[in-house]
Amino acid sequence: MSTTFLPCGDYHQTYAQEHAWWQTKFIKGKMICLFLCLFVFIPLVANDYWISICNMVGYTILGALGVQLLIGYCGQLTLGQGAFIAVGAYVSTLLVLEFPWPQFMLDWGIAYPVSVLVAGIAAGIWSVFFGLPSARVKGFYLILTTMAAQFITVDFLLTQYVSQIGGRGQAFSLPAGTIKLGPWVIDSDLKVYYLMIMLVIVFCVVISNLMRSRVGRAWVAIRDNDISAEVMGINVVKYKLLAFFVAGFIAGITGAFWISNLAAISPEHFPWFLSLSLVGVILIGGVSSIHGTIFGAIFMVVVMELLQLAVMPLADTYPKLLMDFLFIKEAAFGLAICLFLMFEPNGLAYRWWQIKNYFNLWPFSY
Amino acid sequence: MQQGRKKGESKANQGMEIPKTLTIPKLFLKQAEKFGKNTIAMREKGFGIWRPITWHDYLENVKHLALGLISIGLKNQDKICMIGTNRPEGLWAEMATMCARGIGVWLFQECLIDEVKYIVDNSDTRFIFCESQEEVDKALSIFDECPKLEKIIWDDPKGMRDYEQDYLISFKDLQQLGRELDQKQPNLFEEIILKGHGDETALLFYTSGTTALPKGALLSHYNMLTMGKNLMTVDPCLETDDYVSYLPFAWIGEQMMSISCGLQIGFTLNFPESSETSQADIRQIGPHVMFAPPRMYEQMTRTVQVKYLDSTWIKRKCYELAAKIGYHVADLKFEKKPIPFHWRLLHVLAYIGVQKKLKDNLGLSRVRNAYTGGAAMGPDHFRFFHALGVNLKQIYGQTEVAGISVIHRSGDIKFDTVGTPIPETEVKITKEGEIITKSPSVFQGYYKNPEATEKTLIDGWLYSGDRGFIDDDGHLVVFDRSKDVMTLKDGRPFAPQYLETRLKFSPYVKDSWVIGNNLDYLTAVICIDYSVVGNWADEKKLTYTSYPELSQKTEVYDLVEKQIRQANKDLPEPAKIRKFINLYKELDADDDELTRTRKLRRAFVLNRYQQIVDALYSEEDMVHIDTTISYEDGRKAHIKADLHIRKI
Repeated sequence: MSTTFLPCGDYHQTYAQEHAWWQTKFIKGKMICLFLCLFVFIPLVANDYWISICNMVGYTILGALGVQLLIGYCGQLTLGQGAFIAVGAYVSTLLVLEFPWPQFMLDWGIAYPVSVLVAGIAAGIWSVFFGLPSARVKGFYLILTTMAAQFITVDFLLTQYVSQIGGRGQAFSLPAGTIKLGPWVIDSDLKVYYLMIMLVIVFCVVISNLMRSRVGRAWVAIRDNDISAEVMGINVVKYKLLAFFVAGFIAGITGAFWISNLAAISPEHFPWFLSLSLVGVILIGGVSSIHGTIFGAIFMVVVMELLQLAVMPLADTYPKLLMDFLFIKEAAFGLAICLFLMFEPNGLAYRWWQIKNYFNLWPFSY
Repeated sequence: MQQGRKKGESKANQGMEIPKTLTIPKLFLKQAEKFGKNTIAMREKGFGIWRPITWHDYLENVKHLALGLISIGLKNQDKICMIGTNRPEGLWAEMATMCARGIGVWLFQECLIDEVKYIVDNSDTRFIFCESQEEVDKALSIFDECPKLEKIIWDDPKGMRDYEQDYLISFKDLQQLGRELDQKQPNLFEEIILKGHGDETALLFYTSGTTALPKGALLSHYNMLTMGKNLMTVDPCLETDDYVSYLPFAWIGEQMMSISCGLQIGFTLNFPESSETSQADIRQIGPHVMFAPPRMYEQMTRTVQVKYLDSTWIKRKCYELAAKIGYHVADLKFEKKPIPFHWRLLHVLAYIGVQKKLKDNLGLSRVRNAYTGGAAMGPDHFRFFHALGVNLKQIYGQTEVAGISVIHRSGDIKFDTVGTPIPETEVKITKEGEIITKSPSVFQGYYKNPEATEKTLIDGWLYSGDRGFIDDDGHLVVFDRSKDVMTLKDGRPFAPQYLETRLKFSPYVKDSWVIGNNLDYLTAVICIDYSVVGNWADEKKLTYTSYPELSQKTEVYDLVEKQIRQANKDLPEPAKIRKFINLYKELDADDDELTRTRKLRRAFVLNRYQQIVDALYSEEDMVHIDTTISYEDGRKAHIKADLHIRKI
């Protein structure tokens, strides 16, 4: 956690105070406003279209949090996060649809929550499996092994075998009313939105807390210099695999959450481009920063959406634009990453920090 | 926005009478019982957090230390020296000394060996408390020359492993001895304290002495306690207040706040992590009360001015605007005129926009009363702080009255005066214009120096040696030290301090020395501020390698000339500075040019820089210097330089 700017007269007598969240009244007020905005203001003013955009942002945040943990905090480059999201989504779907649940569990809406947890654990274990090479390889080579996860899982296992279960062909359809959290049937965008907000808050809290614990410090030590970390007595392999497990777990939950927003799932929902764009999110947002993950996700989703809004009116004149929009979007994504790496290599989180500093140091510059 | 005077919880204090029998240890015992384990007496910053020490811990530590001192043979009214930075252990040592009925003597930490030797020898010290290896080394090197010195007590174990002298004893071991004695005679500590009387000497203070060797002023418990009480009557403090103790304990002002006031109210003392971090630590704590010599405030002003210069355009403009509003409102307040509504509104805006953050930046956002004393402060600095909304007050006092005798009252502040006397204090002006004071806090006399005592203490009146007068509002105006007052060409008296402090308002000028007593015109010797002028030169792409070289650059002379012209403005013709010279070094207490509290020792510098003074009053425009300077560690260096003289 970055150190907080404390106003004069605000000091700590214990280390617990020093590591506390929301240290000043100003921060407390700010956070309360943020929660009010998330839970009350946005649902009140946003229409279905914007709520679905918000859900997309939330999905991207959840997906990118795992990537942030692996790349940003533990230094393990990964391009296979999409595969683990897919594992989570499929495990959850299969459990909900195919598992012989006793009727009362279906009635009470326990099936979905249980499947979410199982999906998380399954994706975590699957992630550890593909994280095993990290014991021996680093950097580019690790990118290749994690990419292998993407192709083996999605393009081979899911497409060729899992999708054939039940003889439905490519997609599993999820009839309305299947996704139930207890008595709460998740059947509208707004309900997905609330589920998303809670998950995002829970995982942000979990990761922030992990990062100020022994585990988090071990990860950062491995990221900064794995040899010194080992010399310091950190079991490098254990902590790397733990990082893969936690990242996989988050991905699994993300996938299982995302099916609540879908009418049907198919392997096309989890292309390799998803894994790549999640890495793009943390590059744009800022590596090793939870703020950055959130900023990056907002940027990616909202800017792309605005781009669409800007391009669509032109489609009357140039019909080809409509056909090629996907390519324009991908080109814009590539361009955004290039520009960020050139002009804002520390991401949006750094810019945010600078803005805060500008006012914290007011009326001086240092 | 100026915070008003807060009354309320101070009733207990205002009603408090100081009987003659009360001593500091008795009060300490009472307060420690009252506050006990639940109230924090002091905090010390270490490894990033402010470690709290409760009154109970404070009492335990002092108790064992005091009994330890008795078990190594401390007798009634024996002197004990203390040398070190501001740490709880230092205060415990002082309190333990008083509890064991000894007399505490504080030394400035940066004192050179000769000064340490003089004071230790002159005060007949038997034991000396040293903070760390550095101070122990000082004590060891004088040990053989001071036959009365018996034991050296050290605190910080760093580097102390190989010291085997049997007269060295650690702080912890001493406390252990005390613990053993406590087990044998459980009530000894309280019994000794109860034997004390308010008229006994509590502390022996060596005055910095602008002219001669330091003189030891004897202060009784009664002196100290009445001082605190009378000050608190004017500006009450609260139990919940924070105070940062970072100025040397050897300075009476710090003792007045930490002991005289702190003990009576029970506010929390905060000790910075080290002297280097003290500014940042003060900002963290945000004290409610502050007492510092002008140089501290001058430093703050300089920081603000330099940071302002380095700021971005928008921030600079906002600052300028807020400063303008602040100055206007402060001036109206000084003149005691009502503030029109639209100015009030603007002032609120300026406060929200700039001053609030600026005060936060300086660590002044919680300050209720800030005091400056010990030397003269320029009106420009004074206005600066009031424009910022800091309730800065001048005080006037000296070691011999255990602190202060005259102070500004809130809402009745005139920046050319030092205010009106505190309760139980009478201030008069003799026919010769000397300021004399009578109060219960007037000291007992100088230690082993009856002639000086006779000269200073006549019929209970303390003769200060300062020239001054009382104005129409009953405010005391301190002109200068009598012997420093100059006579201008036209026969008018003139205080060089006034011009010097005006010059020091410029961030580029660190010290100045104005000359011209009974001479045709005034001249000044300027010491530039190395870091500020250095930064300025970096920006201007001027190359330099050292202070002497930088100070002699033509561009730097131009810069200083501008500052002097500014200070010369609206002064009568004979009081304007006509020539100046940039000195090749900063004035330094280690060279005896300043006192330890950074007052200029005029007679000494005049003697030392006679050559420069002669050149300033001749037709030459260059003076050649060939001299030696001494560093803090005792090394000496030879310096040759050509100094330019600039006419204005």
